[in-house]
Amino acid sequence: MKKSTIFMTCLTVSIVITLGTTAFAQDPEALVRAAFDYYRGKASVATVKMTVHRPDWERVSTMKAWTKGQEDGIFRIVSPPKDAGNGTLKRGREMWTFNPKVNRVIKLPPSMMSQSWMGSDFSNNDLAKSDSLLKDYSHTLAGTETHEGKTVYIIKSMPNPDAPVVWGMQTLKIREDHIFLSEVFHDEDLKPVKIMTAHDIRMLGGKLFPMVWRMRKADVEDEYTELTYSELTFKEDLPDNLFTLSNLRNPRR
Amino acid sequence: MSVDVKMAWRNIWRNPRRSILTMTAIAFACLLLVFMLSFQFGSYDTMINSAVKIHTGHLQVQAEGYQDKRSMRLVVPDPNAIGSILDETSGIEAYTFRANAFSLVSSKERTYGIMVIGVDPIREANVSTLKKVIRQGSYLSAEDMDQALVGELLAKNLQVGLGDELVVLGQGRDGSVAATVVQVKGIYNSGMDEFDRSSIHIPLKHFQDVYDMRGSVHEVVALGTSLGKIPAIKRAVAGAVEDQDPKHNLVVLDWMDLMPGLVEGIQLDLVSGLILYVILIVVVAFSILNTFLMAVFERRKEFGVLMAVGTTPGRLTKILLLESITMTIVGIVFGMIAGSLVTWYFQVNGISIEGTSEVVRQFGIPERMFPQLSFLSVSIGPILVLFITSLAALYPALKVRRLRPVEALASV
Repeated sequence: MKKSTIFMTCLTVSIVITLGTTAFAQDPEALVRAAFDYYRGKASVATVKMTVHRPDWERVSTMKAWTKGQEDGIFRIVSPPKDAGNGTLKRGREMWTFNPKVNRVIKLPPSMMSQSWMGSDFSNNDLAKSDSLLKDYSHTLAGTETHEGKTVYIIKSMPNPDAPVVWGMQTLKIREDHIFLSEVFHDEDLKPVKIMTAHDIRMLGGKLFPMVWRMRKADVEDEYTELTYSELTFKEDLPDNLFTLSNLRNPRR
Repeated sequence: MSVDVKMAWRNIWRNPRRSILTMTAIAFACLLLVFMLSFQFGSYDTMINSAVKIHTGHLQVQAEGYQDKRSMRLVVPDPNAIGSILDETSGIEAYTFRANAFSLVSSKERTYGIMVIGVDPIREANVSTLKKVIRQGSYLSAEDMDQALVGELLAKNLQVGLGDELVVLGQGRDGSVAATVVQVKGIYNSGMDEFDRSSIHIPLKHFQDVYDMRGSVHEVVALGTSLGKIPAIKRAVAGAVEDQDPKHNLVVLDWMDLMPGLVEGIQLDLVSGLILYVILIVVVAFSILNTFLMAVFERRKEFGVLMAVGTTPGRLTKILLLESITMTIVGIVFGMIAGSLVTWYFQVNGISIEGTSEVVRQFGIPERMFPQLSFLSVSIGPILVLFITSLAALYPALKVRRLRPVEALASV
């Protein structure tokens, strides 16, 4: 707790200093944190359409998602009816899944974390370790470009030594208003493996937000998973008992 | 029979002990080579056939790309059509249908990601050893639905016994969530630890319901009557499948495609075996060279006399070569006969290798090995020995030409 306050103070001080000296030089660490806070909010409730696309096949499902900070999240499938009620709970870096047909909650073992999440191109790790980018990586500014008249910062994120990470490098594009535009996941040889891009930025839940997030493998153009937000509300807080195993099993709302 | 041959034959039996020793050395080398080669070839056959029977079968019909990607959606849509092709192909002993899905399996205590395999209980029993390796409980019956066979190591890891429930959670062919609860009906130990640690078997019908397979399967697995016929069967089946499936979505794979690791293992073993044989043959060659050379030294006086009465060096060489070749051939013939007899005895009775069962089990080799006599295994060793001993005999036979009669006569 103390450490992080000191860190934050240092960060603020350094930002103030850098802002004081050069008007536009952004601190990449602060930028990534700001972008994370921006897209997660303090807490959020959303309805998301997930499209898994393959060259010969496509599948659409809809889910409701509740998130709180970086740590907690609960996702529940609403349609198609066959899958309705299936849910996933994330607390910290642990995940549980619930299936109404067998009425059982299963905790995902570590060996399953790299497997696909609900048949999509997202892995369980992408969800469970979504805050890994903040905790385990150090960020450097690699360049800038412009997007719809706004400055976009290209950030190279390298894992800290000994950090328990999946990727060898990530490259991020963050717009000056803290909107994530893309995230590229590289392996140990720094070759791109997966690419996540954000599209269709518009007013959503009271702020500018990309409606569509697309995750695809770097080498295949025609296989991807798209998340489309149809509703999104940012909240100041959500009750803690929302993110519990009993709520995963017996939804209160 | 010319005088030379007669002389060579008489020379051999003038010192029977020496000749018999030489011939025994050659015979023993041949015996060893025949047996070892037959054993090695036999062990490959046993290894392949037992590996094949645990799971993969000799041949499989799959959707193109399934072998590498293992994707749920790469299916054989109409397994019965493939079945009728196999029914009409001669040399097919049995076949079965299977479907696989990587899924979460959870007991009350623990959860693992493993392969769930849907099998046809009746057909499976004729193709794989699954039914025979059930250690606890019983095998699946035709009308079973939500019952499962679990590998022994997995059962231990999951901490489940007979009658316990397992929750299976995976993804169906259409991408939907597939979930079911199955009861442990039997526990198997195939001897392949990896297999026993990471698989459960459920009835194919139940699998097709849960994973939304709509009658399709992932593999049609066939067993041939013998390993040697597989290439011909593969060609026949591939032809028939192609006629029926003009879009070329299906492929026929043989055990070499299905188990590349096994092929590599055999190649590695062959190379290391080869090195051993080369060493053995070199040792044999030197011992034979030694006996031939000693014989020539012992008989210096005799050669001196022969040359003194007018025998040309060429004729002497010829006689010596005839002697050594006769001995070699006699030795080889005896060696081949004895080697074949010994090998045949073990081919009938088998060789028990229980001491190494731990190691052996990991590779799926049965505890009793049977050498396999074949034209190749009987002939390769002796031909090599014949070649090497002929080379070894050349040196003393040529050395004799440089003998000077007067000096030779003086030697003892």
